[in-house]
Amino acid sequence: MPNGQNYLQMKKTIALTAALSTDLIRKNPSDNELYTTSLRILNALKNIIYSLLGFVLLIGFWYLMSTITKGGLPTPAATFQVFWELVKDPFYDYGPNDKGIGLQLGSSLIRVFAGFLLGSLFAIPLGLLMGANAFCRKVFYPIVQILKPVSPLAWFPIGLVAFESASMATIFIIFITSLWPTLINTSFGVASIPDDHKNVAKAFGFSKWKYLTKVLLPFSLPHIITGLRLSIGVAWLVIVAGEMLSGGMGIGFFVWDSWNALSLEKVISAILIIGIVGLLLDRGFSFLEKKVTYSV
Amino acid sequence: MMNDEWIMINECNTKLVQHQNLKNHKMSYLKIENMEIAFNSLKGKFVAVKDIDLEVEKGQIVSIIGHSGCGKSTIMNAIAGMTFPSQGKVTLNGKEVKGPGPDRGIVFQNYSLLPWLSVYQNIYQAVDAALRDLPKVEKRELVEKYLQMVNLWEHKEKYPKQISGGMKQRVAIARAFAIDPDVLLLDEPFGALDALTKASLHIELLKLWNLTHRSKTIVMVTHDIEEAIFLSDRIVVMYNGPAATIREIEEVHLPRPRNKKDTVNQPEYIAIRERLLSLLMDKVSIDEKDFYKEEAAA
Repeated sequence: MPNGQNYLQMKKTIALTAALSTDLIRKNPSDNELYTTSLRILNALKNIIYSLLGFVLLIGFWYLMSTITKGGLPTPAATFQVFWELVKDPFYDYGPNDKGIGLQLGSSLIRVFAGFLLGSLFAIPLGLLMGANAFCRKVFYPIVQILKPVSPLAWFPIGLVAFESASMATIFIIFITSLWPTLINTSFGVASIPDDHKNVAKAFGFSKWKYLTKVLLPFSLPHIITGLRLSIGVAWLVIVAGEMLSGGMGIGFFVWDSWNALSLEKVISAILIIGIVGLLLDRGFSFLEKKVTYSV
Repeated sequence: MMNDEWIMINECNTKLVQHQNLKNHKMSYLKIENMEIAFNSLKGKFVAVKDIDLEVEKGQIVSIIGHSGCGKSTIMNAIAGMTFPSQGKVTLNGKEVKGPGPDRGIVFQNYSLLPWLSVYQNIYQAVDAALRDLPKVEKRELVEKYLQMVNLWEHKEKYPKQISGGMKQRVAIARAFAIDPDVLLLDEPFGALDALTKASLHIELLKLWNLTHRSKTIVMVTHDIEEAIFLSDRIVVMYNGPAATIREIEEVHLPRPRNKKDTVNQPEYIAIRERLLSLLMDKVSIDEKDFYKEEAAA
């Protein structure tokens, strides 16, 4: 039995939301908390409905395509059944060639984060240095410009030679991938510290440490986090291709393996899962971004 | 008529100054000697100001006034130690200025508060950096004292974007005073404020100056004639740049404490204002020939 007061409040909110949705009281909105809560719920509901509409359209189109190709493309229903089979028991392990989707995903995430962390540990300090010091910027920037457009997969053979392990080579390419956006954003952030802020530090005799912690880092942190967000996004793109090359384990390997087993249902299910995980990663970092952004 | 009055006042002033000088034997505290500041650009050497000679006594308020681009802020930056003279030197208390230091507090043109720090932290970090050896408790007391003085103690937890422009400038002034500098440098401090806020901040500034026993030397850059007269003991009028020089130095002997209402009606105030207006503006009134003549057009 819910607490009486809360229950009443909930009922009121629901009633108000319903009233708002039918435009009954829009003309005379009293600006209270109840009203804003109801409005927020209503907007959230609306957004859910829009998203659902999009997915219905997509699934409709998919169904149409599978009908036209006469089963070349599996039907949504068949795919969802396979999807359900996959996520129902995600952590089973029947030997090296038959592992649950959760284990595959976990192994990919571990590699992505390992490469991403190493890359960030390298890129952030170098970015700070390049942003703060014109000499470093001039020396390193041309290198960055040449290496940045290279597909990280091109580094795979070098990783293999260096580490003599496909798994390590995959981490290596994620490391390379994660470097550029973080490096460029960090150095841009530091380089764009306004003179006003620098002058304050100069005029009041800030120590190097105080300048770093009270001016440089607070100003560049939002830029750094944006860089990290871009990095993890690209890393998640690259891991699928990387694991197709390296084999053995991971979501990319799972896609390739499913293709070899001629199960497009599994491939499409994997695509869905990769998309959802990518979305969650991005949301996580954009949440962080909002947390560290100061408002002017 | 105006001229006679002007000369009379000037003579009085000269006598007064001589008298004061005899009485105090004051050595000039801040001294700029034969200073030239030039910047090297791709187009060659750009001279911002030259032949600048200025002596300021301890506890004086001096304004530098002139049009935009006349090098006012450049002179200010040289005193602050942020720019270096290409010729001549700036000496403070007998020592040549070699860089910024805690003996000079600066109020910047656009407040320059750090947006990620609260009002309290903005002042505390400056005090902490400038007065490194002071115990923490005393630093906190200083911050509180000056925040109280500018009536911002209740707003100490707020961030710069949450307070008005006038309040931001009060924080900046409190920050400059809190490090207890001998010289305060104000770079167009009230330029971005509306007239009412500006007037109340003038009083606020003089209040702080009084509370610190008028011992702090204040050098201020402005382009507001009324502001310069109301606040200053001396007004340095600049020629237009580039290669700007000092055109004239006006002495202001209005009695202190000054009060806005009475001060503006005093003959000396009016005379100095006329003088400055004629120096800074080519034309101070609209005459016959400025009117659009219908006959001529027809």
